[in-house]
Amino acid sequence: MTAPPPVPPTGPPGPGGDPEERDPGLARERTSLAWTRTALSFAAVGGAMLKVNAITGLVILAVAPVIWQAGQVARGRSPVAGLPVVGAGRLFLIALSVVAVSLLCLAVAIFGRSAPGALR
Amino acid sequence: MSWSRRMAELLPGSITRDTGGAEPDPRFTFANERTFLAWSRTALALVVAGLGIVQLLPPFPGVPAGRDLLGVPLIALGGVLAVAAYIEWGRSQRALRRGEPLPRSILPWILAATVSAIAVIAAVVLLASALR
Repeated sequence: MTAPPPVPPTGPPGPGGDPEERDPGLARERTSLAWTRTALSFAAVGGAMLKVNAITGLVILAVAPVIWQAGQVARGRSPVAGLPVVGAGRLFLIALSVVAVSLLCLAVAIFGRSAPGALR
Repeated sequence: MSWSRRMAELLPGSITRDTGGAEPDPRFTFANERTFLAWSRTALALVVAGLGIVQLLPPFPGVPAGRDLLGVPLIALGGVLAVAAYIEWGRSQRALRRGEPLPRSILPWILAATVSAIAVIAAVVLLASALR
């Protein structure tokens, strides 16, 4: 005996379904939290870099609030219709930032060697 | 399709103003954005791991280049992953707008292949250091 195929939902969602069906604002909230985590990741890379090369670390740390601010834009966009405006520019900014950070780290890793075994 | 045309399709404005479709369900747009953000965090974690290996670990005895062999590919993988995640986001957004099936993602393949390669390098470096 096989289970009947799932019926695609029609009409307005009833209670008890996907929470996002009942409150589409949750998707926005989750996205906002994801932006916060990403900003924190930048701060973590900057903090690690501080130990290696203070100036580079400060530069990367300074990126974190910019990313956080980009996420706040996501929170407030198109409040009336509830429809998101695809902010491709902000995602482009992130991709560029990660590439820039990784190039900086590569340069520091190769040229800016600290004392061996700095953890000890 | 010409190379310059492909590049132009990756620019932010081209994806938001894609006339070949309609604005998808906002939840799909948000979910696609979160996927991109999660890949970006993965990329940053790889960068910080590579940096830690090169700068903070004591050198492997007998393998002077061991730390660079492990750390530099990790940092480079972080950069590649960020670019690939952006391209992937654009492709998915375009497919969502047009109601097409989502394209297959190559990101898991890139990540798995590179991490496996780095694991092999790590094993070789450790063995060489132990058998010195």
